[in-house]
Amino acid sequence: MTTKKIVAGLSMVLRMLVRQKIVILLLLIIPAFFLTVVEFTSSDRTLPFQLASLDEEVFISLSEKGISFIFFAVATTGFLVSFLALNLIQKNSTANRRLILCGFHPIELLISMLLALFMVIALIAVYVGLLTNAFYSIDNLGKFILSLLLIGFVYSGYGLVVGSLVKGELEGVLMIVLLVNIDVGWLQNPLFYAEAQHQFIIKFLPAYYPSQTAIITAVTDYSPMNAIENGILYGLVFLVLSMLLFFIKMRIK
Amino acid sequence: MILELKHIAKSFGKKKVLKDISLNLDKGTITGIVGENGAGKSVLMDIIVGVRAAEKGTVNKYGKIGYCPQSTILFENLTVKEHFNYFALAYGINKAQSKKRSEELLNHFNYKQYEQEKVSHLSGGTQQKLNLSIALLHEPELLILDEPYNGFDWDTYQRFWGYTSKLKEQGCAILIVTHLLSEKERLDRIYELENGVLK
Repeated sequence: MTTKKIVAGLSMVLRMLVRQKIVILLLLIIPAFFLTVVEFTSSDRTLPFQLASLDEEVFISLSEKGISFIFFAVATTGFLVSFLALNLIQKNSTANRRLILCGFHPIELLISMLLALFMVIALIAVYVGLLTNAFYSIDNLGKFILSLLLIGFVYSGYGLVVGSLVKGELEGVLMIVLLVNIDVGWLQNPLFYAEAQHQFIIKFLPAYYPSQTAIITAVTDYSPMNAIENGILYGLVFLVLSMLLFFIKMRIK
Repeated sequence: MILELKHIAKSFGKKKVLKDISLNLDKGTITGIVGENGAGKSVLMDIIVGVRAAEKGTVNKYGKIGYCPQSTILFENLTVKEHFNYFALAYGINKAQSKKRSEELLNHFNYKQYEQEKVSHLSGGTQQKLNLSIALLHEPELLILDEPYNGFDWDTYQRFWGYTSKLKEQGCAILIVTHLLSEKERLDRIYELENGVLK
């Protein structure tokens, strides 16, 4: 394994990504569109809800608009990142396989892709964080961006697992839609969660800890460490699983 | 000897595509494999290069291998030049050598003017030239070609055979899958893959 190959791989992956101009444009437009819809549709009425992931029972009151901004910031980041990860691993899989036959090690290639993906996740998290702050004042912006990084980490792992498991583009997209819609796009909404039956089901879903981190950091001074640690653990499981699948799929027989 | 196949077998479900394939390839020879569509020629090539695993049998390869797959396998958002750089790094070729080799191939197959173009902007024939050039970039000792001239015009087709003849003289062993029996006189040996065996 050589650093030279990893750096070259990273440079090529980023070039390929940047050259998809419509994709870049959509990455900028989609979060702005989501948050603009929230601005025009959510009310200012105050709603009480529980911060579920803290050790103590803490209830806070927040405007519906505020909750929606935070929730949609997390949801948008999760959506975008999971699709990007899926695309990254699936799109050039045969060409990547050819590179491996010619002498690249699967791990070198995977590290290049992961580095590129994490750079893009960081950019998306900073962009969505700043954008959300422009619509609604976030208490701890730095930590809030960290929570978006966390959802990006967890859901990019999921996208990588799906992309390594299934060959077809449509199957991959449907598998992403299945989980992302239910989890980050619905069940993790703090308002829904507060009144939900069988809350333990929601706690086992990948977006639970990142969503909790986001809401804690956006409107309180409580420590989100417990949620961050669990979120990282969840993301690591996905990451290791995707690395194993990629290696098995790409190795020379 | 540069390639040795011993009793290769491969099935897909109940269908036995390859039953008992044995083959030796010597340096400085061109060997052709013909067969009907679906006979298993590409599966055999995939097993030789390591894309697929054989159920039975062994593959022994000695020396640098170049592989040109049947369909163009390229990165559509990278340029021709970037492909040469990327694959040169994979092969372990240094920059100067890579530049020299890519210039040579670009000029020989007459597509130097597309060096800075993205693959998605190239015609099918030009993409195939790049697909083939990648297999030739590191001066292989064993060249596996799976119908490498799909989309080539007559001039490029002639240039292709000119190049492979030169490689043969330099000692390269070439295994080529073809449909064209008219190429018989260019080949040292020709096998037909039928019902999973080479005849």
